[in-house]
Amino acid sequence: MNDDASNSLPLAPAALHILLSLAAEDLHGYGIMQDVARQSEGKYKLRPGTLYDNLQKLIRRRWVEELGQKPGDDDPRRRYYRLSSLGRGVLAAETARLASVVREARLRLQVAKPRRA
Amino acid sequence: MLRFLYQRLLRLHPPAFRKRFAEEMQSIFDRVTERSARVRLLADGFLSLLRQWSLRPEFWHEFASGGQHAAVDGIPSFYTLDPFRPRTAAVVHGLILTVAVFCLTCFAIRYSWIHVLHVQIPEVQFESSSSVVPGAAAARPVQREVASRTGGQMQDDVSGSSRSSQAPPTQAPGPRPGTAAQQNAGGNSRPAPPGRAGKRARRASAFNTAQNAASQPGRAPESSSRQIASPGPGQPDTPLQPAASAPPLVPNTKIEATERRRVIEAAVADLTRYYVDPDAAQKMAAALRTHEKNGDDDAATDGEVFADLVTQHMQDVSHDKHVMMIYGAAIAPESPQPPSAADIAAYRKKMGRTNCQFEVVRVLPRNIGYLKFNSFPDAEICGPRAAAAMAELNDVDAIIFDLRDNPGGYSNMVALIATYLFDRPAHLNDFYDRSENTTEESWTLAPVPGNKLADKPAFVLTSHMTFSAAEAFGYDLKMLKRATLVGETTSGRGHMAMARRIDDDFMIRVPHIKVVNPISKTNWDGTGVEPDVKVKAADALATAEKLAESKLQGK
Repeated sequence: MNDDASNSLPLAPAALHILLSLAAEDLHGYGIMQDVARQSEGKYKLRPGTLYDNLQKLIRRRWVEELGQKPGDDDPRRRYYRLSSLGRGVLAAETARLASVVREARLRLQVAKPRRA
Repeated sequence: MLRFLYQRLLRLHPPAFRKRFAEEMQSIFDRVTERSARVRLLADGFLSLLRQWSLRPEFWHEFASGGQHAAVDGIPSFYTLDPFRPRTAAVVHGLILTVAVFCLTCFAIRYSWIHVLHVQIPEVQFESSSSVVPGAAAARPVQREVASRTGGQMQDDVSGSSRSSQAPPTQAPGPRPGTAAQQNAGGNSRPAPPGRAGKRARRASAFNTAQNAASQPGRAPESSSRQIASPGPGQPDTPLQPAASAPPLVPNTKIEATERRRVIEAAVADLTRYYVDPDAAQKMAAALRTHEKNGDDDAATDGEVFADLVTQHMQDVSHDKHVMMIYGAAIAPESPQPPSAADIAAYRKKMGRTNCQFEVVRVLPRNIGYLKFNSFPDAEICGPRAAAAMAELNDVDAIIFDLRDNPGGYSNMVALIATYLFDRPAHLNDFYDRSENTTEESWTLAPVPGNKLADKPAFVLTSHMTFSAAEAFGYDLKMLKRATLVGETTSGRGHMAMARRIDDDFMIRVPHIKVVNPISKTNWDGTGVEPDVKVKAADALATAEKLAESKLQGK
C-alpha cells in the first residue's frame, strides 16, 4: 500500500478533492461536486466529466468503493461512493506531504522577510 | 433540446463508462435548470466524450461492476488476474510508432546513400598515398606543372575569366580580349597532360561562361542576375575574382538616342567580328539595325530596359542564350587586372573546403560505382581529388556519373575524368575560336596505369540543370559511344563567351568560341544534349542502376 501511495503522489487536484470529500462521509456524485465547491470556496469547480473520469480511476485503484444506490434517496439514479482504507491511507500520505511542503514554504517565507526589511 | 443532446452525448461514451456513470451524469444534468449552466455541462460532456475515447482505452471494456468487488474495511479481499493481454490502444500506438521508426530509418539509410558529408581531405594525403592510387600518376604531374608555372601565366590560366585580358601577345593562343573582360573561366588554361605534355595543344578552357561576370564584386544584385546566362545552381567553382578593381556602380540613368545608336553600332561591330557563327552574326546585326530603324528601341530610355531589349533582339534571331547586352554595374574596366596570388589561393581554399565539389563517391549494390560531382573544377587544383575519387571506384563493374546538378567548369577536368574510360587517348572535341580563327583539340590524357574502368559500362545522369562543361562530358561520351546518357535533355550551352566593353555603361557578351565535336561536327548549343534514355531527372539514378544491373547480368 505504501508503495502504491508513494508512487501516486502528488495527487492531481481533482483526485485530492474527491478523496477529501469522501473522507467525511459517503457521497453521491452530485454531493461530491457540491462538497468540492465548498472546500475550495467556489474556486475549483468539478464538472461531471472530470468527476466521473476520476472516480473511474479511483475505483480501479481501489481507493474508492462504489456502494450503489441508497434506499430512500430522492433520486434513484444516484449511486454512493465511499473512501476505502487504501484511499484513506493515500489521502493521509498526501496530507503529510502537503503539510511538509507548507511547513517548508512557511519557513522560507519567514526567513526571507527580514532581508527585505 | 439540451437534455436530448446531453443524453446523446452520454450514449456515445464507451460502454463501460456509460453503464456505470451515464445515469448519474444525467441526474446531475437534470438538477441544473439554468440554461447557461446546462450549456456548460453539455460542453463538459463533449470533452468527456473525447477524453474517454482517446485517453482512457484501458477502461473501454471494463465490466461495470466495481461494486461487486467492494471490500468491507478490515477484511482482506483477493483478486484474480486475467491472463495478460495488451490494451488495444497500446497495440495501435505501438504499430504507429513502429511504422514511424521504420520510415525514418529507411529515409536515413536512403539519405546516407545519396549524400555524404563533405570531408575535407588534406592534399598531402593524396601525395603520400599516390604510390598506391592508380590515378595519382596522372595527378602528380598536374600539380608539379602548377608549381612550375610563371606567376602571370598561371594567373591567366586559373582565373581565365574575371577580367584578365590584355594578355601579353607572347602568350599561348587563345582569346585575347583587348579591352574586353574575358569571361570564360580558365579560357586559356591548358590542361596538364601527363605523358603527352607539349605534344598537342589543348584548350583546357572552361565552359563556365558568364559565371565570372556574375560573381564580380561590387555589383548590384539585380544586374548580376541579369548577367548570368545560366542561372543554374550557382557556379560552384567560380574562380578568382580580382578583389580590388571593382568598378563603381553605375546609376540607372536615362540614355539618349545617340547613345543607343552608338551601342547598337558597337554591338554590330563586335558580333560581326567575333561571334562564332558568321551567318548568325550577320542576322543578329541586321535584326538590331532593323529594330533601330523601326524605332523599336526608342521607348527604352532606361539603360537596363534597353540592354534587355537588345539582348532579346539578338537572342530571338540566334537562339543563343550566351549572347547578351549588359548594362550597369561591373562593366569591364579598360585595363583589367589579372587575379592576384591571393585570388588563386582563395580558389584553392574554396575547392579544398568543398571537396572540389565531389559530393558522393560510393559503390552501390551489385558493385556499381556512383560518382556525383557538382562542378568540373580546375584540374590543376582538383586533379588529385578527382584521381582519388576514380581510384576509389577502380574496382567497380559499372560506373554512374551523376551530372544532374553540375553547372560545368573546366574542360581540363572533363578530359581528366574521361581519361579513365579509355585505354587509349580519345579525341573529345575541338574548340573553334572565331576571333583568332584557330581550332584546338581536346583529348583525353594518357591512359592511367592500373585503371580498370576502360571497358566497364558507363552511365551519365543529366538534367535540365546540366550546363556547359558537364554537357560536353555527356555529349563527348555519347558521341564516342562510351556512355549511356540517362535523364533529361541538358540546358544547351555549347558556346563560350567573353564580355567586351563598349563604354562605361554597356558591355556585350559575344560567344567567340564554339565546341565542335569531331564525330558529329557540331555541338549541343541551343538544343541541349539528348539523353539515350529519357526519364525525369529524379528517376535517373534508379533507371541507370537498373540498366547497369541488366547489362551486368547479360554479360
